[in-house]
Amino acid sequence: MSRLRRREALWFYLFASPWIIGFVVFLLGPMIASVYISLTDWDSFTPPKWVGLQNYTRLLTDDPVFWKALWNTFYYAAISVPLGLVIGLWLANLLNKQVRARKVFRTLIYLPTLVPLVATAMIFKMVLAPSGPLNDVLGIFHLPGPSWLLEAVWVKPALILLSVWGAGGATVLLLAAMKGIPRELYEAAEVDGASAIRQFWSITVPQLTPIIFFNLIMGLIGAFQVFSQVYILTKGGPNNASQMMVPMLFDEAFNFYHMGYASAISWLLFAVILVFTLLAFRTARRWVFYETEVK
Amino acid sequence: MTMDSSRLSRRGFLGMGLAAGVITLTACGSDNDKASSDGNATAANLVMTVWGGESDKTAYQKRIDLLVKKFPELKVTLQLIPNDGYAQKVQTMIAGGKGPDIMQVAESVNVYSSKNQIQPLDELASKAGIDLEKRFGSIGKLYSYQDKVYAIPDRSGAMIVFYNKTLFAAKGIEAPSADWTWDDALAAFKELTVPGKQWGYAGSGWWAQWWSFVYQNGGKIIDDSGKPAVATDEVIEALQWAGDLIFKHGVVPTQKQYADMGADVGGDAAFANGKVAINTTGFWGISGLTKSKIDWDVAPLWKGKQQAVTAFGSGLAVSRTAKNPAAALKAIDFLTSPEAQQQIIATDQDVPANIEVQKSEAFLKPAWMTKPVNMNVFGESSGFVYRAPFIPQWNEMQKAFDDGLADFWLGKQDARTALTAIQKRLETIVKPA
Repeated sequence: MSRLRRREALWFYLFASPWIIGFVVFLLGPMIASVYISLTDWDSFTPPKWVGLQNYTRLLTDDPVFWKALWNTFYYAAISVPLGLVIGLWLANLLNKQVRARKVFRTLIYLPTLVPLVATAMIFKMVLAPSGPLNDVLGIFHLPGPSWLLEAVWVKPALILLSVWGAGGATVLLLAAMKGIPRELYEAAEVDGASAIRQFWSITVPQLTPIIFFNLIMGLIGAFQVFSQVYILTKGGPNNASQMMVPMLFDEAFNFYHMGYASAISWLLFAVILVFTLLAFRTARRWVFYETEVK
Repeated sequence: MTMDSSRLSRRGFLGMGLAAGVITLTACGSDNDKASSDGNATAANLVMTVWGGESDKTAYQKRIDLLVKKFPELKVTLQLIPNDGYAQKVQTMIAGGKGPDIMQVAESVNVYSSKNQIQPLDELASKAGIDLEKRFGSIGKLYSYQDKVYAIPDRSGAMIVFYNKTLFAAKGIEAPSADWTWDDALAAFKELTVPGKQWGYAGSGWWAQWWSFVYQNGGKIIDDSGKPAVATDEVIEALQWAGDLIFKHGVVPTQKQYADMGADVGGDAAFANGKVAINTTGFWGISGLTKSKIDWDVAPLWKGKQQAVTAFGSGLAVSRTAKNPAAALKAIDFLTSPEAQQQIIATDQDVPANIEVQKSEAFLKPAWMTKPVNMNVFGESSGFVYRAPFIPQWNEMQKAFDDGLADFWLGKQDARTALTAIQKRLETIVKPA
């Protein structure tokens, strides 16, 4: 018995080793290194100088751009994630109805997720032009369209618009989960006289909460790490109005050669993401419903 | 017993993780290995990094082919890196101990020289008998840091004025010249503007453009003692003049108007479309226009209180990791000689830095040119070029300007307010050497 178990353990480690080694060498190692680097002043060329917590104190007390980037990232995450979820849920619900050409719609809604982000961003540059198509549409309703990417107030909403463009990714997952909800639940509700809206809130949504929760966590992490859109569309401008955490740390590390400072930013970002993910998990007990769990 | 052994191996794995971390750590930390030995210029395998696109690759490769033909003992591998990733790529190459032997550098040259990542070349150059002033004129020691030369000029051309001949003729305006004052220029811009449809000038939002006006006005971005000096009256006046062209006189398109012309349309594209009558840019504008339908020519930049114009270019440096600096310099010596530099213009790439080539027929009447263009402007302008401050914090300084002038270029702030704030920011970034 013990020989068998030991062999089993050996095989387990053998098969798991590519991932364990990959994790240790390419993730854990660099992570530990970056903790050290974040405590130094390092330009990536000359030997690092130990500065203790100075990078962190400077970030938190003496760098207006950092606070601006942090605020922008919060702003972006706080709106784009819930908005993406609501729209994803709405689209999934529409697709779940017995409409004609449902497969075509499903493809069309998922399609934006497949277009490379760079291409999407380039197109959005035109769509968001001061006299571009979006403002033409707003013009029909007699709304004066702003110069989206040029104005400090509108540049973040513009980036959020771009993120909503990819809501189709969540839709597919939600739709699959919707299909998995047992029919009997709806039949029973109908017998009890529940309206369609009541059914949606009391059956569909609770049954979907695990998927919503998954999308929330992934969305949060993705939103806090937003990079390409910012880098292509605005480079953080105008005057850092759209500067986010990751583009900022990229600038510091690879344009300004402040590798230590950039490492400190990345650890603060890690802490922020960790706090929000933990928060989501903590509250999850209250609103995420697992069938296998008996409360 | 069994439980114990499996726990032990788990701990073993953790230990390995720590070890790997420490190894990565030390690998990153101790890069400052021995200085490269001073090899003699015998056989060598050299790696040369340059940025740009396919046409740049062709131009550099042709010059390298000539080099290898003449010195078969030198082998040069050309690495073309796209513009966007160049700095990062070279940074990691050097940090990893495998830096290029010959590397292209430009405005950010002193990022490397101030950190001893490229080698001072004075001694090697004089040993090889290169007279920088004679070969390159006033820009011979452009890429210097603390009185040492760190890169040999390779490509260099002043910013020039492109003007639309048809539009000029229609208004009966004479061609722009180096004698134009700001007032002459403004008068011409006004004549050439048709509100909402056509603009006199493409604008000067790029540092290379408005800095020219600053130096024309007697101002300096970084003063002689190495301190930022952008909140001075000279600088403020020059920037305000550039801003007034947009918002006071309406002779330059606003950012909004540019954004409406299409994605990524700037002065160069707007000029090629005939939307603006005058554009100020570098040599690349010429190749961009050979296929344009408009009739155009070039002229030197106008002047303010004095002549001043930005020059674009790049030099060739030798990184600290080069194993045979003497061989690398021998290669650079040849690449910047008239024989090799001629390829720069023959392939329509850029202005060669070698002044002998700049004055040659091959440059003044290149074979690929489809129409007579006043190529003499580069020679004429070379005397006006001011010495731009290539400080080690170049990228951060540019970012400070981008950020601080965002509102100014939108017409929401005046030059004095913007520059006063930028001066404060620059004082925290730029530490005099």
